[in-house]
Amino acid sequence: MDLKKIRQDFPILQENLGNKPIVYLDNACQSLRPRPVIEAINRYYLKSSACSGRSMHKLAAEVTREVDQSRSAIAKFLNAAKKDEIVFTRNTTEGINLVANSLCLEKGDVVLISDKEHNSNLIPWQTMAKKKGITLKIVPSKEDNTFDLQAYDELLEKNVKLVSFGQTSNLDGVSIPVDEIIKRAHRNGSLVLLDAAQTAPHQKINVKGLDVDFVAFSGHKMLGPSGMGVLYSKYNLLEQMEPFLVGGDTVLSSTYDTCQFLPPPEKFEAGLQDYAGIIGMGAAIKYLEGIGFDAIQSQERLLNEIITAEIKDMPKLRILGPQDSKQRGGIISFYIEGIDSHRIALMLDQMANIMVRSGQHCVHSWFNAHQIKGSVRVSLYFYNTQEEALLFINNLKKIGKVL
Amino acid sequence: MFCIVAFVVLAILGIFSATNRQLAKEALDCVSRRVTLRPCNTGFDEKMKAKILGNVITRSETAARLLNNNFELLSWIFFVMMLGSSIWSVRGLYLFYTTGSCNGLNQDAFCVFDPSGANNQISNINKPCPVQQKTASNLTLNGIDLSTFPVKNTDSKDKIVFIGCYLCDYTRKAYPLIEQLVSKFNVNFTFADYPTKESSDYLSRVDYCVYHENPDTFWKLNDRLFAADKSDLSNTDEVNQLMGGLGLDVGKMDTCIADPQTEAAVQSQFTQIVKTNFYGTPTIFINGVPLVGPKPYRVYAIMLRGLWYW
Repeated sequence: MDLKKIRQDFPILQENLGNKPIVYLDNACQSLRPRPVIEAINRYYLKSSACSGRSMHKLAAEVTREVDQSRSAIAKFLNAAKKDEIVFTRNTTEGINLVANSLCLEKGDVVLISDKEHNSNLIPWQTMAKKKGITLKIVPSKEDNTFDLQAYDELLEKNVKLVSFGQTSNLDGVSIPVDEIIKRAHRNGSLVLLDAAQTAPHQKINVKGLDVDFVAFSGHKMLGPSGMGVLYSKYNLLEQMEPFLVGGDTVLSSTYDTCQFLPPPEKFEAGLQDYAGIIGMGAAIKYLEGIGFDAIQSQERLLNEIITAEIKDMPKLRILGPQDSKQRGGIISFYIEGIDSHRIALMLDQMANIMVRSGQHCVHSWFNAHQIKGSVRVSLYFYNTQEEALLFINNLKKIGKVL
Repeated sequence: MFCIVAFVVLAILGIFSATNRQLAKEALDCVSRRVTLRPCNTGFDEKMKAKILGNVITRSETAARLLNNNFELLSWIFFVMMLGSSIWSVRGLYLFYTTGSCNGLNQDAFCVFDPSGANNQISNINKPCPVQQKTASNLTLNGIDLSTFPVKNTDSKDKIVFIGCYLCDYTRKAYPLIEQLVSKFNVNFTFADYPTKESSDYLSRVDYCVYHENPDTFWKLNDRLFAADKSDLSNTDEVNQLMGGLGLDVGKMDTCIADPQTEAAVQSQFTQIVKTNFYGTPTIFINGVPLVGPKPYRVYAIMLRGLWYW
């Protein structure tokens, strides 16, 4: 991987802020965008900003073709059985909400989630518990925050309708044993939803191989545009599900009393879609595949190893999750006892334009349960360099000495 | 404490920058929480502290450590300093309003509201070897015989004594204001001419003669002398023309002006003026309080009638 060449594709990385380069280590929140993605979005607005699938003119035909290509590219990226299993959403949150609202959940049905889910995969189920009377059960993690299959088995009872887990945690970067989880869920007759927001940017997801039922992820964490997400679902499930949002572009025809919905995925894509976003998402996946996921993961692991090795022994510093960097993908989440995480993040930003996330990372439930005020989260991506990792380490050590 | 200091500083900076305006709003929120005894949970103080530390640490780790360990103490120190300087500023503003100088009456040290010191400028007198220092505290009317000087509105209990010279810019600046004040409030007004320029020496004798000829005409002449061009006042023909214009017998006045007794009387007036310890013109006593230099109208009015002079 020619890192220097790759970095040139990212306009923001060519910029300086206050005469210092930007060191972007907040990729779990949102990645930077390469020029091909920006150009694809621009191309739509400059050359073909028309409706897809509705109008008959040349511009519309062009957009329809490009949207279709993006859907196919995403389906291929996920190894889906067919492109109609891909539903465009705004983001992962909307994808999960779609499943929560469209799946026929009834009173007494149980949904299992883990104890460190992003609010996106917690609040929809809490809401369903209130609205429909389903039961939400939490699978506790092991001491080191890795997935506890034994605890999972104990909770996997007959009335578990769905298990919904974050495939890779945005809290600590730990990935769960999806193969085993899906097998056991299916043996139990339960469906499986994976929140892959933190997985899709870093590795290919083989939905056919995994036999997973639903996968939701966002474009903005994987070089794609913000406001663009994907929900994968097995086609037969999509057929059975009621649409969540309804209206324009979801129906074949309507009378004053009734309507005839289009087949999936259209019946779930209400209203005019974010065509520029969809096209940009296709360009992002193409770019990532061009880099290669092995190279992406290898760079992230290397940087995580360097950072972990240098900071793990800092006084009062605690790394969330396993201490072994190999188990944490591209994330190092830590706190220093007695020091507000926001202060550390702001100081890093002020000192050297090092941009990290601080706080509870939308996993308030876990922090509240563990009575930890927050953490600093360094999230790496393939365009980050060893120099950036060292800069982060040096500045963090300075902060550690001073505070 | 930090929020209060930050709010004041950012509010001022916010006049010029939208970013600082936003921060000032956050600081205000924090301040309002503090004053209502609620915790400042906006994160503002933490954010600002981190930003400051982030800047300092890149220059000196020791300084950053000191700052971090003593942040609250330093905030208090800055708060006290800010409070002190605010009180001092308000005092300065009040003094400027009431005396024309931030530092008090007749103080000619730098004042930000009057950077050129215009309200305290004087035309110096050439007094050889002054025994006493040139300070306003030495100025007095005690023991001064003012009976021979031109005076009007003698029934008034308020009294203004004006020592000035016709050719001095600062006197010419102050005189119309004093005249306005005298007219408005019918103040007992004594005028004493003390020429700091030799070329206008004879105007003192003109004053003496005209006043003794006709006091009402003297005041008219006085107004015209201050209104006239400075260059005209060095020219006796021009002055004679002014006197003639007021119906005075110029020949009679010339005789009086040339009379040695007039010179003796004028010298006697100068002696009285010098005894006030004045050191420049204009020096104006309002009810015995000396004001040195041309002050704004409000200062004279406040001195005479108090803050609510209008």
